[in-house]
Amino acid sequence: MSVWDVIKQWKLRETDYQIIDHQAIKEITLGASILATGGGGDPEIGLLWTYKVLNEGKPIVMVDPMKIPEDVLVASMACLGAALVLTEKPPNENVLNKAIAKLETYLGGKLQATIPIECGGVNSPVAYAAAGELGVPVIDVDGMNRAFPELQMTSWVTHGVHASPTVSADDRGNITVIDTGDDDLLSETICRRVAMAYGGISWIATYPMRGKEVKETSILYSQSIAWAVGKAVWEARTKHLDPVAQVMKSLKEKRNVKGFSVFKGKIVDIHREFGGETTKGFTLGKVIMEGIDEYKGSTATLDFQNEWLNLLVDGRVRCMPPDLIAILDSETGEPIRTDIMKYGYRGTIILIPAHERMRTGKGIQIFGPRHFGYDLDYQPVEKLCADLWKK
Amino acid sequence: MKMNNKPNQIRVGFDVGGTFTDGVLVAGTEVLAKTKSLTTSDVTSGIVAALDQLLETSKVDKSLIEMVSLGTTHTTNAIIERRNLNKVGIFRLGAPATTAIPPLTGWPQDLIDAIGGHKNVFIIRGGSEYDGKDIVPLDERAIIEACQKIRGKVDAVAITGVFSPIISDHEDRAAKIVKEELGPNVHITLSNRIASISILERENSTILNASVINVMRQAINSLKKAVSNRGIKARLFIVQNDGSVMSADYAVDYPIFTMASGPAASVRGAVYLSGIENGVVVDIGGTSTDVGYIVKGFPRESSITVNIGGVKTNIRCPDLLSIALGGGTIVKQKDGKVTALGPESVGYNLVRLAKAFGGPLLTVHDIAVATGKLKEKLDVFDTNYVVDRKKIQELKPETVKTADALIKNTLEAAIDKMKTTADAVPAIFVGGGALVVPNKGLHGISEVILPRHFEVGGAIGTTIAEIGAYAEGVFDLEKEDRDESIARTIEQATDNATLSGAVRSTVEVIDVEEIPFTYMPGKREKVRIRVKGKIFEGAK
Repeated sequence: MSVWDVIKQWKLRETDYQIIDHQAIKEITLGASILATGGGGDPEIGLLWTYKVLNEGKPIVMVDPMKIPEDVLVASMACLGAALVLTEKPPNENVLNKAIAKLETYLGGKLQATIPIECGGVNSPVAYAAAGELGVPVIDVDGMNRAFPELQMTSWVTHGVHASPTVSADDRGNITVIDTGDDDLLSETICRRVAMAYGGISWIATYPMRGKEVKETSILYSQSIAWAVGKAVWEARTKHLDPVAQVMKSLKEKRNVKGFSVFKGKIVDIHREFGGETTKGFTLGKVIMEGIDEYKGSTATLDFQNEWLNLLVDGRVRCMPPDLIAILDSETGEPIRTDIMKYGYRGTIILIPAHERMRTGKGIQIFGPRHFGYDLDYQPVEKLCADLWKK
Repeated sequence: MKMNNKPNQIRVGFDVGGTFTDGVLVAGTEVLAKTKSLTTSDVTSGIVAALDQLLETSKVDKSLIEMVSLGTTHTTNAIIERRNLNKVGIFRLGAPATTAIPPLTGWPQDLIDAIGGHKNVFIIRGGSEYDGKDIVPLDERAIIEACQKIRGKVDAVAITGVFSPIISDHEDRAAKIVKEELGPNVHITLSNRIASISILERENSTILNASVINVMRQAINSLKKAVSNRGIKARLFIVQNDGSVMSADYAVDYPIFTMASGPAASVRGAVYLSGIENGVVVDIGGTSTDVGYIVKGFPRESSITVNIGGVKTNIRCPDLLSIALGGGTIVKQKDGKVTALGPESVGYNLVRLAKAFGGPLLTVHDIAVATGKLKEKLDVFDTNYVVDRKKIQELKPETVKTADALIKNTLEAAIDKMKTTADAVPAIFVGGGALVVPNKGLHGISEVILPRHFEVGGAIGTTIAEIGAYAEGVFDLEKEDRDESIARTIEQATDNATLSGAVRSTVEVIDVEEIPFTYMPGKREKVRIRVKGKIFEGAK
């Protein structure tokens, strides 16, 4: 089966889908890395994989979510595990095909499309590469429109879809089926243990759902949003425009939301702490930035748990999860990631309101400030930055 | 300042740059002769000419020369120009993992062709997990079969195994088989000796290393011959990317370690000449200025991938910020107003094109003459700093003032980007253009030091008889003791320093780096150790 058979079967018109080429995936991945809020990993591996798929002449097609049939079966494909292991051990090209075949057998149905799980340097391009290898389309949605450290932190879970059954595979062909019913946290826990047992990295097919659920529970047009953001930065680079202003403009146009540029500074201190079993195994830490230019004399403090979590400027809370924090290199617009940041990096901190489907009561409970250990009630970034509206 | 070498030991050093080949002959810390001449297209003849000039000027007893060292662009040029490259057999030990991104993905096609193409590429079953277990057992049979296919068709072999920087067993075993099959004349590069975790960049670095083995061997052999023909019995050393040196025999196997040696040698030279071990080094040339940061006498390392000839590598290089500001940089004007600096430079055509030499173009050099920064001719240059003073006097004061302020701002911004502290730090200015930029009242700088012989800082940097080396390992701190893990890595780094020519008892640690693994439970971390050692036992 090829992706064109699916398009034909769904009776899609040319305006219902977009063909993804080298430049498109570059822009989508760049935008996704910005929305990944400091996490999501190094885009290199996913991008090279996607290039290889395209170079082999396998088409990659992205489809409008509102145009897909209600009864089709889709699932999300992703890499779960240690980012450092991935940079040393890229995948077998068939690893996700095997996971999907097992999921199909287990469910007794054929998967007809992939849905990206998050916006991130690794998992955004991986969703496209996997779709290309499989010969199915990518749906223009995801479960976060940002990156989060855990499997269950999605709009899918907060709207009643589950991270189960999940099939986890490794390069040697080992396969684990994780069926935890409606216990999504347990699915995350088991998936991570399995990844460890495999050697630090696993490849999962998860969140099987129907077209109807995609429409009702996903972050719709998440891919287009990432693409617009990436395109804005790309354009800023080639036309020598301010990348931060271009990103803001693209968010306004594509999502009709206002982002906030709240700080410009230089990293002057990084504290990293180890997370053992008790803290679920994530890199935790704190970064201090000293203001430059119009922010001279100000200090920004950011906490991170793989992703940026919380921002204080001069002791005042300006952003809390699930709202997005990104630090962009002021000149190139390249996002500064928590895993590669170092002393002396300069950037502009921008804040973006999380998508409405990420801000429900259940969402705040699963990935709001209290979940990450802050004794704070969630307040949207628009409120925390209300005094900056005029700026 | 601290003396790193015996007082009377005579050492000769060369720094080959894009425009100039610099040479110095030193005894202890005293510079007996220095030279600056245009780099020749074959590189080697320029070095030999510089050597003869040094010998003639200094008139030293040649038999007293104990060390000859060379910072060179031979290998970089070969890769960039796709010239004289080896045909490389490429083995990756990693299947069934890693097949989604085969070797040479993303390489420029002309470079792929120059090293023999895709037909010599093999992904073999093998490699390790991060904890040292096999992904699968090494497929030795497949290696033998691959060797049969490439026999007589390759000059060198590059072997890269998954997680080999942590456990090199499969690479070592594969090397043994390849050697048995292809014989001792086919050179073998193992990735675990070249770079660290991140397989694609490490594999690229390993393949590039294999591709320039013969270029490096020839460069070293011709220099060795030139040196011994002149009755010099000195040991020969090559500058590596951290600005320290490695023995020439070791360098033959690791030419990739010389790729960024030029700017690194300047940083080391600046440290040596000034005695300052922490601060900013500003190396100003004819076309560009490199700003580096020194920590404990060595350039701070960059954590960003390095692009060589269109290929991403992860070889360790100094963290340098290069800006388009040098003596020859053109000061752009529009409607009589200064609009920008460069990025174009007149380069070595300065003496024909710049106003101070009667030429038509306004350069940074001219502004320095007009503001009185340049007041004397440097020995190493043939031409005086100003020939046509009238053209300088004709410059509008407003133009000179604006341009001077722009040069100062550009320099200050570059220095500030490299600093990691808000406190003022000392800055050492070196390079042929060190006098053409402002050095007073610079923001964030406590003092500017212009050491003696600053104009040949790079060449002096090559004569410092110190060797840098590193090692790394991954440890699970829930199972292994932290101090013991670090001690073990130090031992390995010390072994590496000794292999590249250091006296073991002089090796000391300069940096301990710990990097945690993200998205993985437990307390796993990567430990990376940098050490330095001395070449001469008796050195203080």
